[in-house]
Amino acid sequence: MYGWHLKLLRVNLTTKKVTTEDVDPKIARDYLGGRGWAIHYLYNEMDPMTDPLAPENVMIFATGPLTATPAPTGNRYMVVTKSPLTGALAHSNSGGEFPTWMKRTGFDMFIFEGKSSEPVYLFVNEDQVEVRSAAHVWGKDTHETTDILLAETSAEARVACIGPAGEKLALMAGIINDKHRAAARSGVGAVMGSKNLKAVVVMGKKNPPLFNAAEMTALSVDTSRNVGADVKKGSNMRIYGTSYVPQVTNTLGIFPTRNFQQGTFESTDKIDGIALKEQYLIRHTACYRCPLACGRLTEVPDGEYKGKGEGPEYETISAFGGACGVSNLAALIKANYMCNELGMDTIGAGMTIAAAMEMYENGYIPEETIGMPLKFGDHDAMIEMVRKMAYREGFGDELAMGSYRLAEKYGHPEVAVTTRKQEFPGYDPRGSQGMGLLYATSNKGASHMEGDVAYEEVFGVPVKEDPHTTEGKPELVAHFQNSFALIDSAGLCVFVALRYVFSKDRMIWPERLSEMMNYTTGEGYTPEEVMKAAERIYNLERMFLLKAGSTEDTLPYRMLHEPLPDGPAKGMVNQLDKMLPEFYKVRGWDEKGVPTKEKLEELGLPS
Amino acid sequence: MMIHVKLLANYREHLPPEAKNGGVELDVPDGTTVREAISRFPIPLDDTSVIVVNGLTVDLNTPLKAGDVVSAFSAIAGG
Repeated sequence: MYGWHLKLLRVNLTTKKVTTEDVDPKIARDYLGGRGWAIHYLYNEMDPMTDPLAPENVMIFATGPLTATPAPTGNRYMVVTKSPLTGALAHSNSGGEFPTWMKRTGFDMFIFEGKSSEPVYLFVNEDQVEVRSAAHVWGKDTHETTDILLAETSAEARVACIGPAGEKLALMAGIINDKHRAAARSGVGAVMGSKNLKAVVVMGKKNPPLFNAAEMTALSVDTSRNVGADVKKGSNMRIYGTSYVPQVTNTLGIFPTRNFQQGTFESTDKIDGIALKEQYLIRHTACYRCPLACGRLTEVPDGEYKGKGEGPEYETISAFGGACGVSNLAALIKANYMCNELGMDTIGAGMTIAAAMEMYENGYIPEETIGMPLKFGDHDAMIEMVRKMAYREGFGDELAMGSYRLAEKYGHPEVAVTTRKQEFPGYDPRGSQGMGLLYATSNKGASHMEGDVAYEEVFGVPVKEDPHTTEGKPELVAHFQNSFALIDSAGLCVFVALRYVFSKDRMIWPERLSEMMNYTTGEGYTPEEVMKAAERIYNLERMFLLKAGSTEDTLPYRMLHEPLPDGPAKGMVNQLDKMLPEFYKVRGWDEKGVPTKEKLEELGLPS
Repeated sequence: MMIHVKLLANYREHLPPEAKNGGVELDVPDGTTVREAISRFPIPLDDTSVIVVNGLTVDLNTPLKAGDVVSAFSAIAGG
């Protein structure tokens, strides 16, 4: 077999029994890999109504066929499970080195079931598979845990683990790999913590052969050359990473400011990539086999926020910077380091603190409850809240439940800017209409990573669309959702995939990606077949979501009823009602958003 | 008429020395289009370039008005 191992590892944490299974080649082909394989197994093996933090929840780590191949950015894996934050689906993606090392164990996918009675970690070195005690690393942060587990296994291994936030079941806990990379969103770290699984350590030298190694290498080299040409021209992604984006979203008036009460932040210059580069950048870093190298090693050399690590990325600057009204760059870098070390999603953590700040300023949450003042812009208080949230200490216990539950508890649900109870990323959908439709219909709750139409509405990749119009957005959102399902299933990073793997005319893509899939797997996919597989994956996820009871596609009050007060999108709300019915039609779903029998049959899905 | 041009991120290097906070005031003839205004700077305009006026998506042949803010940046991916 080419591209895939067609082997999965099933780990029952209750019994400590580990088994290996073959993957049906037809399932492999029809669901591509990664996110696609994972939803197939999750849907067929688990009742979608399962309590996400119960032993019955199934958690899957899945690599794609292009993971660990010469494909540029073929370094991703997905964590798929039922989310304790949203009550719907979680599919969180990460790069770095761990995913490639995981694939080299000889297994494409790990399925975790049950719950260990005591803290454990999984060690996989090809056929050597052991569930080992993690008592000595329980309570330690992700960096200490990684160092200790590498020291006792092998320097050749790679580690994905949870920090204190995951152990304490904080709903914004993520899974951190290679110290600085995160499968962050939807509380996947809390699911891992609920299973008493502290870490997964992988190594090996098994790689499935490529169907046509010569052509695959040539295509990968050509794609890398294209990336290199752009980087040479002065790509912002290489110079600044995603930290160049605050200037862009602020210019468009969609930079979330003070919990989305505004769309422009007066101190953007102080917290953007230029300031970061001038003050704190040490050098650029890259995930395995990435020609873009958008990562950045940074250091705050002294002062109260002293620290060293990677980032922050745009989303982190948006959440802890604009959304919290904080203009102290060192503080938001520190918040980023803390989230990586404590194992938390920076978007969920930052946006929840932003909502708490608004509730404090409006007198909805008294100072005695919080234990200190919590005004917008108070960076010391923000840092303290990050720590308390991870350890669920004092008011942090309430913050750890996310902004939706917090706002509801204090009687002001309108303050929570979430869909499916998950915090918004850094694009205000009042000035980016397609992003609103994306957030409302996303299988994982508000997320840019499920079909980031900001690529067109904001960045003009592959083509520029007007962010203020609703026209054409239903088709665009559905197309991007399917495309992201494809990229996530293949095992690539969207940063490179969208511009270099897909053609400029988005209606005939993705030819390059299907070629890469074919040189890798030998399956002879047509471009139409890979897109159909992506649509199949998206619809099966949707079925999981509906069966889990997450049926409402909507946006929070502020997005629909409070016009933006400033900037280029001043006066606008999101016009979801203009887009949603058409979106359902484009999708082949009924007027309630349920895939029709005909659509399910067309995709070969059970109706 | 006076307009303001802001060049973001890596395009900043193409601003003249008198620029402040990534932008510069320009005195241009009435009827100057977006394209004409931006072509005064040595920006390597290509398929990665995005140009907006007052934060809004516009046709590059649109004539500018006094007080308009033209912003330009280059993107191959976002965040």
